[in-house]
Amino acid sequence: MSFELNRRLAARREPLPTSATVDPVTASIIRGAMETVCFEAATHLGRAASSPIINSSNERNASIIDAHGRLAAVAIGTPHLTFVSQLTVRYGLEMFKDFDWGPGDVFLGNDPDYGGGHLPDYNVYAPVFDDNGELILIQALQAHQGDTGGKDPGGFTLEATDIFTEGLAIPCLKLLHRGEKRLDVIRMIERNNRFATFRGDLAAMISAVQLAVRRLEDVIRKWGADAVKATINAEIEQSEKRLREEVSRWKDGTYEADVWIDHDTQGTKDIKVHAACTIQGDQLTVDLTGTDDRPNLVGVWNTYGNTRSYIMVQVAAAIDPGIVKNEGLFNAVEMIVPEGCIAHPPPNKPAALGSFHPACEITEAVCIALSQVVPERATPQVYKIGMPNAVIGFDAKGQMWMDQGVDARSMDSSAVQGIDGWGSSCVGLGNLLLSEAEDLESRFPIINLSREMTTDTGGAGQWRGQPGSLNVKKVLAPTMAMAWMVSSRHPLRGLCGGEDAGGYENRFEVGTPNERRIELSALAQLPAEAVIAYQHGGGGGFGPALLRDPEAVKDDVLDEKVSLQAARDKYGVVLTGSLDDYDLAVDVAATAALREQMGSAKAA
Amino acid sequence: MGYRVGIDIGGTFTDFALLKGDEVILHKNLSTPEDRSVGVMTGLKKLAEKEGLALADFLAQCDAIVHGTTVADNTLIEMNGALTGLITTEGFRDEIEYRRGYKENIWDVRLDPPKEITPRRRRLTVPERVLADGSVYKSLDEAAVREACRKLVKQKVESVAISLLFSFVNPAHEKRVAEIVAEEMPGVPISLSHQVLPRAPEYDRTSTTVVNAYVAPRVNHYLERLVERLHEAGYQKRLMVMQASGGVMTREYIEGAPIRVLASGPAGGVIGSAHVGAAKGHPNLLCVDMGGTSYDMSVVLDGAAPAEAGWNMHHRYLIGVPMVQVETLGAGGGSICHVHNGALQVGPASAGSEPGPICYGRGGVQPAITDALLMLGILEADTDFAGGSFSLTRKGVDAAFAKIGAEMGYGAEDAAFDCWRMVNANMSQAVRRTVASKGLDPKDMVMLAYGGNGPVFAAIQAEDLGIAKVLVPKASPTFSALGTLVADPAIDEERSYLSSADKVDGERLKGLWQDLEARAGRYFTDAQFANDQIKARYQLKMRYPGQNWTLAFDVRVNQGLGDLSFVDAGIGVRAVELFNERHMAEFGHVRDDEMPEITGLRLVTSVQTPSPQVSAGTSAPRAAAKAARSRRANLGRGYADTPVFRGSDLRAGSEVAGPAIIEETFTTIVVYPGWTACVDDAGDYELVRT
Repeated sequence: MSFELNRRLAARREPLPTSATVDPVTASIIRGAMETVCFEAATHLGRAASSPIINSSNERNASIIDAHGRLAAVAIGTPHLTFVSQLTVRYGLEMFKDFDWGPGDVFLGNDPDYGGGHLPDYNVYAPVFDDNGELILIQALQAHQGDTGGKDPGGFTLEATDIFTEGLAIPCLKLLHRGEKRLDVIRMIERNNRFATFRGDLAAMISAVQLAVRRLEDVIRKWGADAVKATINAEIEQSEKRLREEVSRWKDGTYEADVWIDHDTQGTKDIKVHAACTIQGDQLTVDLTGTDDRPNLVGVWNTYGNTRSYIMVQVAAAIDPGIVKNEGLFNAVEMIVPEGCIAHPPPNKPAALGSFHPACEITEAVCIALSQVVPERATPQVYKIGMPNAVIGFDAKGQMWMDQGVDARSMDSSAVQGIDGWGSSCVGLGNLLLSEAEDLESRFPIINLSREMTTDTGGAGQWRGQPGSLNVKKVLAPTMAMAWMVSSRHPLRGLCGGEDAGGYENRFEVGTPNERRIELSALAQLPAEAVIAYQHGGGGGFGPALLRDPEAVKDDVLDEKVSLQAARDKYGVVLTGSLDDYDLAVDVAATAALREQMGSAKAA
Repeated sequence: MGYRVGIDIGGTFTDFALLKGDEVILHKNLSTPEDRSVGVMTGLKKLAEKEGLALADFLAQCDAIVHGTTVADNTLIEMNGALTGLITTEGFRDEIEYRRGYKENIWDVRLDPPKEITPRRRRLTVPERVLADGSVYKSLDEAAVREACRKLVKQKVESVAISLLFSFVNPAHEKRVAEIVAEEMPGVPISLSHQVLPRAPEYDRTSTTVVNAYVAPRVNHYLERLVERLHEAGYQKRLMVMQASGGVMTREYIEGAPIRVLASGPAGGVIGSAHVGAAKGHPNLLCVDMGGTSYDMSVVLDGAAPAEAGWNMHHRYLIGVPMVQVETLGAGGGSICHVHNGALQVGPASAGSEPGPICYGRGGVQPAITDALLMLGILEADTDFAGGSFSLTRKGVDAAFAKIGAEMGYGAEDAAFDCWRMVNANMSQAVRRTVASKGLDPKDMVMLAYGGNGPVFAAIQAEDLGIAKVLVPKASPTFSALGTLVADPAIDEERSYLSSADKVDGERLKGLWQDLEARAGRYFTDAQFANDQIKARYQLKMRYPGQNWTLAFDVRVNQGLGDLSFVDAGIGVRAVELFNERHMAEFGHVRDDEMPEITGLRLVTSVQTPSPQVSAGTSAPRAAAKAARSRRANLGRGYADTPVFRGSDLRAGSEVAGPAIIEETFTTIVVYPGWTACVDDAGDYELVRT
């Protein structure tokens, strides 16, 4: 629990010792088998879990770590979680002797200061030994839990100044010893969670990991431990090589970007994330020096393990999507993250909200910097949302319920060169399924009044950002609502001349004398019938708006994604006809004239 | 007893299976894409000729014509359905665009959006709101509906989907909207969400309804024309149509929700498999169908192919109606082999049938799996291929694999062998993923292989997966047509009902089942089936609170509709017991301290109709068959002189020990080393590990 530990955990690891070699086709077959095991484990968890965030939102991922703590294979989940699993396991591996690792053991870790992301991300992992008792692999399964036993339900405490406020931190805990459940331990973990469904979730995680271990034992038996080790070595080497090949095609130089967070949870304004991406031959270096390090900031601390992951998410987006995701990517990228800055906090800082911000600003800064060299793959893999409106109440039996606010909506879906922003969010979040009104309203005393996209909130550009949606809901019983707002003054940035997205905005008790805009954060008691309205930010635009095909602008107006006014003011497109009669047409001459005039005004 | 005819239309061939007493007669002719009913009539004439009858006489003696169609699938592949509009609840205009956040590839930032069936300008909203309990929170603004119609008319909309929130609990608003649309847009087909998919949540229901509206005019038009042609030619009974749920039903029923025929082709194959497997004493099957472009996998459990309504994405749209689950991998004979950044890859791109693999000699230049099979000696050049329609050529094949080999650092034959290994591994992994999402282990199953290429790879994959036995039916090339013949008339519908299991309202449950009974009863009566012929399975869908996926199970199975006496005071307790049993079987644990909830109920009705008899076992004495010839081939263990058998030489009881190749008319069966093939009394092949 120190910077020293972080340095040790993140240090580059050696290949597995083996003199065996394996041909590329066999390697690819063995890797496929390991990825399938990950898929099976995550699928099993998704089917058996009881909390919606796992079984419905799919916030879970599986990865295989090798005996040296290297990421060997991944499947499913989100990129953001995928790249963080290995450090937690590496800490566990340091305790191999002390904690008496053996076949049949299952461990749990979630501690941000011991390689973890944030407390809600429970990482359940188990070693896989070969028939000679040699440790070959560790199967890890990570899933977001609805609660962590801290001050506030859900694990997010706006004013927390240390990790202990947020809940129970677990560096490495043995849940099963040699196949036997340690019931005392499991009961204690279950006790530190507010939700009844947690028991089922933990049981599902354990059984899913056990299933994966059995499958991996079969894989090792079938191919031999040496072939598996040689495969992992070869695959990691290959991914590093592939990433380096991509980087060597990028133009040498240093590309920088600043991204700002509106404020921390206590109102300290303009938190800065700075990224400098340097390309020299086949070496990519991402340097976060210059990122805010004011020690008094609250709630905007992103763990080191997370920072590494959120950098890698955007690097992975910038390369051929076919490159296999494993430790090789980390081997190819140098990351400089100053100790003590908000991207590498000192021990005991709270970590829950940091996984939102500055985590996503780190990703965004890397994206903006890289957009100068790989524009065709530059689109931010982020969620600029602060904390959605979590609504908490108690049912007739006194049991707590919570609507996490992860509703169907559109936010932060930016354009990329040649493709308008589409769908509900960036591709990286495409495995998460959002809650639907008909499910939530059957469970909670809430009515979803609206959640349509808001015209003109997508960043203008040659390729347009998707508009953000306005989610309006009414609570039918007195409840508590919690939120943290950012990305209002500093919305998601447009790229390569594209305009920024529309920002976030949140209002409580809409339509009453108490109506108020939540500028910073809220922890409010709402009376029955209160209406809350959450405007999500849109996606950023890509390329200059004046270059957008006027016919596409006309279609945007017909679709009410862009207003007639904005068609003229932002895109320089003059339309004739009426939207009401669906007979809009581009006035080609007037458009050309207006665009020329706007272009020269801009140049001047 | 009269004839029964099963017809399945594929991309290249239209397949026919004629059931005459216990005998099955197969026929195949080319499909006619411009008007597919032409190919159907041609085939029927051929069958009539075979029976020595005039078409009219033959058709007059047909008890049933059962048809599987790909019209809906083709509409979505080509995206040329009706210009569709959507009317939905105010505030929910964009659900279909959000897709609940789903995107198909989380790593590819250049992923294109799906082509929109209803772009935002054709998604119009009306003020109204029904709540979860069915109460009206906001009354319907009829003027707004008329205004929406005006806008849709302006845009020349040809088909309208209506999907309002909680319409599956209280459809009053949706029905009223439909009335107004019918007034304002006379003649335009309307799809109502509470009829197409009466369940939560809104994205699933809306997507299904919108796709239904999109394909409905084409499907209905096609079926109407076919019915007309059949009628004119002398067929007097109802045309039965295959559904993706694995049952068939009258054209009149399909007309109400044509979405039900989407993906029905593969379902037919699975139903055929279940029938054959069950007859041979193998109720649990892993069915694999490998053709030219894809490898389709499905699971048969306890002799049935359960239709599930889940997260079924088809052509990038969610289709929520119950479907026999068929997973598809882009791996077939036409799958292209290539080297990408130093890695050998097979598929998913396919050479298709035109130009096809290089060895088809039709101008293909990229090596495909069929070419690799030729290199390996599993197939042979210059002899009859695909039932004698043409022969393969070796020209250009060696050079293509030499090129791959050069990139990989070895020769052409090694390259071909690695392509074979690669496609094998891809298929095995895909099978594992398919069965994983069902909580099964392939080890416990028997593989049933069909399609032109299925039997080529079946045994080696079975070995990979720990499967000990493989069945290859003789009829495998026309399996889907046989499947339509096997499939029973069936209606599978559900209603939403949310309640904790300890607070079940028996009267409401009864009422909902009665609704479903009334619908099913009407269509079965219409199709001239008697009530006592109808097998009715009353199912509940349940989950523990917080779970998102439900488990469906039988609460009662009756012969004949109308007896709901089982819905008594004890129904809740029994439901919990049955649910826990299912949960234990599925997930290995039960949550004693949690009260499960009911999310819906389902009525699965079917009528058993005559099916082809499949015999099992081998009464003939076993005898080693005699090879017709031999050739140099690599069956996974290097090149060796390998005996080749002619399928037509083999008889019941014939045994072929691996390594060996058996050439059938439309397929090739590879008996890998360590396997033995035996022909049973039905002429089907059984491969076992020895």
